[in-house]
Amino acid sequence: MAQHPKAANAPVTCATCHNGAATSYATAPMRHAMEPQGANPALATHTDMSVQLGAYSYRVQTKDGQSTYAVSDGTDTLTLPIHWIFGQHAQTWVLEKDGHYYESLVSYFPRANGLAITPGDQKITPHNLTEAMGRQLPIWETRTCFNCHGSGVVAGEKLTPAKVTPGLDCERCHAGAQQHMADAAQDNFKTLPKSLKRLDAEQVSDFCGQCHRTWDTVMRNKWHGPAFVRFQPYRLENSKCFIGNDPRISCLACHNPHQPVNHDVAFYDAKCLACHAESKSASASAAMKTCPVAKSNCTSCHMPKVELPGGHAQFTDHYIRVVHAGEPYPE
Amino acid sequence: MAISVFPSAAARGLLFLSLILALPVAQVRCAARDMPSAHNPMSAPEKAQDKTQETSSQFDDLAARAAAARDQQNLPVAIQLYTQAEQLKPDWQEGWWYLGVLQYSANQFTGAIDAFTRLLQLVPTAVPAMALRGLCEFETGAYDDSLRDLEQAVAHGALNEPHNEPIIRYHLAQLLTHAGRFQEALEQYRVFAEHKADAPDLKIGIALAGMRVASFPKDAADKDREFYLAAGNAGYVFFSGDNEQADGLFGQLFARYPSAPNLHYFYGFLLFPHDPGLAIDQFRGELAVNPGNETANALLALTLVIAGRFTEALEPAQRAYANAPDMEMAQLALGRSLAETGDMRRGAELLNQVLARDPNSLEAHLGLVSIFSRSGNREDAERERKVCRDLAK
Repeated sequence: MAQHPKAANAPVTCATCHNGAATSYATAPMRHAMEPQGANPALATHTDMSVQLGAYSYRVQTKDGQSTYAVSDGTDTLTLPIHWIFGQHAQTWVLEKDGHYYESLVSYFPRANGLAITPGDQKITPHNLTEAMGRQLPIWETRTCFNCHGSGVVAGEKLTPAKVTPGLDCERCHAGAQQHMADAAQDNFKTLPKSLKRLDAEQVSDFCGQCHRTWDTVMRNKWHGPAFVRFQPYRLENSKCFIGNDPRISCLACHNPHQPVNHDVAFYDAKCLACHAESKSASASAAMKTCPVAKSNCTSCHMPKVELPGGHAQFTDHYIRVVHAGEPYPE
Repeated sequence: MAISVFPSAAARGLLFLSLILALPVAQVRCAARDMPSAHNPMSAPEKAQDKTQETSSQFDDLAARAAAARDQQNLPVAIQLYTQAEQLKPDWQEGWWYLGVLQYSANQFTGAIDAFTRLLQLVPTAVPAMALRGLCEFETGAYDDSLRDLEQAVAHGALNEPHNEPIIRYHLAQLLTHAGRFQEALEQYRVFAEHKADAPDLKIGIALAGMRVASFPKDAADKDREFYLAAGNAGYVFFSGDNEQADGLFGQLFARYPSAPNLHYFYGFLLFPHDPGLAIDQFRGELAVNPGNETANALLALTLVIAGRFTEALEPAQRAYANAPDMEMAQLALGRSLAETGDMRRGAELLNQVLARDPNSLEAHLGLVSIFSRSGNREDAERERKVCRDLAK
């Protein structure tokens, strides 16, 4: 572990010692899983968005860093401030009204360059302005939303969204980081957060799956269809090449959570070829097949993009496989 | 909307009418139509035939008078006439049906049970008779028989008739609670809340099932009724979909009855399918109040497993297994938590122990997937994944 002398009077943060990880993490997607009011580029650049859905019109406006969400039935208008922005690209807002929390019925989608109905809410037929404004969240769903998009949700304590830190901070994954930091400030380096480096591929999948959903969770809930393509740990574990004791197929083999996602297809070739390269050993080649078609851009064929129903976006299917033209979405 | 779910006279009247309508016509042949037509008897065989005709004539007369008395709602006379008619022709299915229904309506439950039993001997698939016999058995205190009959009737579609559904479901829920099958009882009670059906004893029933009290609402002690009513109301509100209000109601109950056994368990059980984290808090709350609550302890362990908190699950799982080694929940929780914290061999043993008894236990198969995957056993892992996918269809 890197240990650096403390600058006099400088507040101790994770970056004091772990500057590299902390700096790169500042731009990583999980850090921005939820954005605080006024800090969202999409709203800053789309200052006046509107859409008509059935009998209701929606308008999201941003002025001086304050965003508002309004819904009107032509006679009355309900306007609420946007405090919680969920998602870095496509985004949905959690709204508060009379002490209740609602998922906004419309969301912003970059591909649509504007507002459209929130995925999963297509079947809702609003009967009044409040219902048109959003879907009221059950207490557990509010908690899950804030716990996966923010930091500071404490088990066993009532959720207070105003106290949740937007985005995932270090402590969110590295439980004990705060204590470690406090102790380190006193030159005590014995209290370390539990190391995640020792997790095997199955455990990493379960760890990431706390929010990205595990294979177990999908099975327990009997979720089926392309709407669940966005749950990468579940899709990855469907792959024939996934096995829990091989770090080459772990989530971390391809993704560094402290860094932005690499969208260069070629970047992932080396990850695939770590197993599927030609080998001098006949037995090794037989165990891990090599691709007869190409040796590059593996993911473009073997991890196809799948349209998320109603999501105005495509997700990379992490179910690694030989894809046959025209075949239905595999469970 | 309030739906009466109690065996009141009015409810019985409703049931009476709807069951009559519901009984398949083909199952109740009209015996009178099967009787041979009359002609002049002269010889010995003809005399015997004459005797048959006389009986037939008597039967026709009794059947007609019984139907008339029934139409006039004259229960005592109708019962008497149907009884006489059945003595002449014991295979008259329609007669047994009406005799049973009339006796049920007149609170003559033992006689009704006999009539429905005779009908079921003739027509074993007469679902309405099965259901009504179950309700009669409930009234006579033959609870095991009642549960058997109502479950069988439900399995054959007795709940598909909207008029009959509430009374059958309500009695079934009570009987399931009495039999200690609390989860199944709550599933029946949930339907009432979802349809906003309301009645005081219904909520007491919900509370009894939720707090694992194997008793009937009618037997709840006066001193406990207020508590049960409030707890049942909280459960009812939860089932009806207003989880925020329910959360507030449970909070009030915890403040007012801090040491009530199984109250935290009840709320945890309701939360369990939605959010393991919130359920865990409640199970811990229950154990703080009632450390000896082994069901809460086992469910806590299993919920921690489902939440992926295997290290935390280990201690309650070990305790649950030590106290109840045959409890499936304890075997699952200990098996999975041991496997995930290092002891795969013992973990697999316990999970296989569950599968020996319940081959379709998804949790056990999920545990084996993890064990085989983490130990690099690709073939077995894939086989177990396939089993899970099939179970999850």
